[in-house]
Amino acid sequence: MAELVVERLVHVYSEGGVRALDGVDLRVGRGERVALIGQNGSGKTTLVRHLNGLLRPTEGRVTVDGSDASALTVAQLASRVGLVFQDPDRQIFAGSVRAEVEFGPRNLGRSGSAVTADVAAALTVTGLHGEERTNPYDLGGSRRKLLALASVLAMRTPVLVLDEPTTGQDARGVELVRSVVEAVAAEGRTVIAISHDMRFVAETFERVIVMRAGRIILDGAPSDVFARDAWADLRSTYLEPPLAARVGDRLGLGSTPTDASVVAGLSA
Amino acid sequence: MAGDHALTEAAPAGRDIPSSIGRPGPSAFHRLNPLTKATLATVTAVAAVVIGGLIGPVVLVGVAVIAPAMAAGVLTRLVRLALLLALPIALSAFLVNLFFFPGGQRVLFSIGPIVATAEGLGFALEILARIMAISGAITLFYLTTRPADLVVDLERRGVSPRVAFVANASVQTVPAMVERASQITAAQRARGLDTEGSLWRRVRGVVPIVGPVILGSIAEVEERTMALEARGFTRPGRRTLLWAPPDNRRQSTARWALLLGLVALVVARVAGFAP
Amino acid sequence: MTLTLRGVGYRYAGATRPSLLDVDLDLPDGRVVGVTGASESGKTTLCLVASGLAPRTIGGQIRGRISLNGADLDAWPMHQLSQRIGIGFQNPATQMSQVAGTVFEEVAFGPMNLALPRDEVIERTWAALEALGIDGLAERDPQRLSGGQQQLVAIAGLLALRPDHLVLDEPTAQLDPAGTRLVGDAIARLAASGVSILVVEQKADLLAEVASEVVVLAGGRVALRGPSDEVLADPRLEELGVAAPSAVRIRRAAASAGVGGDRLEAALRG
Repeated sequence: MAELVVERLVHVYSEGGVRALDGVDLRVGRGERVALIGQNGSGKTTLVRHLNGLLRPTEGRVTVDGSDASALTVAQLASRVGLVFQDPDRQIFAGSVRAEVEFGPRNLGRSGSAVTADVAAALTVTGLHGEERTNPYDLGGSRRKLLALASVLAMRTPVLVLDEPTTGQDARGVELVRSVVEAVAAEGRTVIAISHDMRFVAETFERVIVMRAGRIILDGAPSDVFARDAWADLRSTYLEPPLAARVGDRLGLGSTPTDASVVAGLSA
Repeated sequence: MAGDHALTEAAPAGRDIPSSIGRPGPSAFHRLNPLTKATLATVTAVAAVVIGGLIGPVVLVGVAVIAPAMAAGVLTRLVRLALLLALPIALSAFLVNLFFFPGGQRVLFSIGPIVATAEGLGFALEILARIMAISGAITLFYLTTRPADLVVDLERRGVSPRVAFVANASVQTVPAMVERASQITAAQRARGLDTEGSLWRRVRGVVPIVGPVILGSIAEVEERTMALEARGFTRPGRRTLLWAPPDNRRQSTARWALLLGLVALVVARVAGFAP
Repeated sequence: MTLTLRGVGYRYAGATRPSLLDVDLDLPDGRVVGVTGASESGKTTLCLVASGLAPRTIGGQIRGRISLNGADLDAWPMHQLSQRIGIGFQNPATQMSQVAGTVFEEVAFGPMNLALPRDEVIERTWAALEALGIDGLAERDPQRLSGGQQQLVAIAGLLALRPDHLVLDEPTAQLDPAGTRLVGDAIARLAASGVSILVVEQKADLLAEVASEVVVLAGGRVALRGPSDEVLADPRLEELGVAAPSAVRIRRAAASAGVGGDRLEAALRG
């Protein structure tokens, strides 16, 4: 059974009448690693906000783990779909790293040793182990972003949605995000990430969805979405395939979205 | 200096600012200098309090509010807005005077023990006219003057550029904070903060929302300050203005005439020989 | 006029450790120097110090010497310094003054503050808009532009002050690919026309395109420096927390698998 089902979803913002989503159909299975790409205004953020109920459909339906999302409150959906926002400074409020990470699980009604364990695990995987008592604003901006990620990880939701997780991160930060995605998926949880880092997308996710003007225009594995046939569509939405894909094409190696695939192609 | 040629070669001499800056308003009234319009509004409002009888305020409304509003093409919006602005106070003042005017003799009608008198009605109408004159004067100014134009005009007349900046920028602060608060609320709700439950639950939600709003605003002020300093904002003294609302002798004479007229009215009232 | 840093160190007010230590750097006329490094390596601090905002505006303690053609920066108040060194920041929106109804007025803000004659303000503003290729945006509302466009407006606003040097702190960090392209192209164009730029960026691909020289910071010190293709291909980059440009990574991966050669090189150059 699919974890998330979106059917004929349309969303029109009441302010300005903008038709941000123009009929989106999507099924995401349990444990999938999905990247959502597209230029600003293509509807990516609008789409993911329907998954935890922050936005409600104008038309169409969203189903989370078998239940119609419109029958659940945001607080209820938060136990199933964790959404990490792009700007950590529009979220962080606690005086310590630990308190910030405990906030989510506590809201879900958990307490005691289960919370302690979840918090510790989240801090470890985001490289913040040892900073429990640090004031979040004594951490740099990129570590605060990891803190925001940890605070949602600790909620242990079956679905994790990340909005631009690598923006503003250095190389180590990007690696940490990648290992978080892999660890979460290895537990059988679903990960959906909005990103405009094509390299990160090609190397971390097994499925890439491209949006333009409120619709999905491409949906497939990186080797399909970054293959030459798809470049015109990608470029129509101001996206450029990763260098590896372009290099592999020049070398006649077929579709090579990642460095490793280029090397494999050359070694063959 | 290296890079200079990049900035001078491309620029032919004698160009002007884009036409949309200081675009003149749609009517002659709009195009009046902000100080003139402000003087009109103030004089009208004060006169509305001072002038005697019922005829006075009504004439004031007609001449100083309705007529210019028609000329400016903002009459419908003015009526709507001025009524909205004045409604609570106008309604209560009208009713209080209608029913509870001291010394009212000629009864018009009664509701239970409360009696409406003709004298009360007269006075109530007078109060109503005065309130509408004040409200109309303020609204007329608001509808025909862009805040930025007023600030530029004041700066041209000597107000410090830094004060002018604060006046202009403050207008932006509230919408920006509201926007920030709504984004923060979304992020906290996504972490299970219940904003739809009981009152107690909602009270608990205050800190996770207000905290980041304040902290974030402070951090933003620091960044903005640095960006401003990097562009010479702290230089003391006046600065060059690209455009200011035009003024002329006729208008400054008119402003003085209005002010003197007001003074004359006040004197006449106090001395007892005006209506 | 070369901007020179010698033995420069800096500690923020209230901090226990310095954020910059013993930094030497030269920014001569007409050059683009790229600066990179892991988070918290001192990149932003370097920008604030090089532009004079630190310690003037934000306090803190500074060591060493910063000079412009031999004259200490100390000598100048901030509004005069901004005519010699312009600084741009990551966040496009906070660089908009919020008091300008049009892009033109936004870019004119600096020259207006300097009380230059009106004609000169207007001339400089058009020149700056054209240098960035955004004269078409002159009548737009700055608050309604995309992040990339706002960054261009911010940089134009700095150029209107005719500084000798531009210091740009991660101008594309918060931008999407379209915005990054816009700003990257503008920087390349400015560089080609002889503007001197110190640009901090995490995106090694961008630095490879625009910078002739790259400095890598680690722990507040200079860890590597040299011509950009050498530094960006240096194997030590990774342990310093910086990802190499895509081309370098592909080449390296191929080399360790024992494949590559001329065909690959040609394809990388594309």
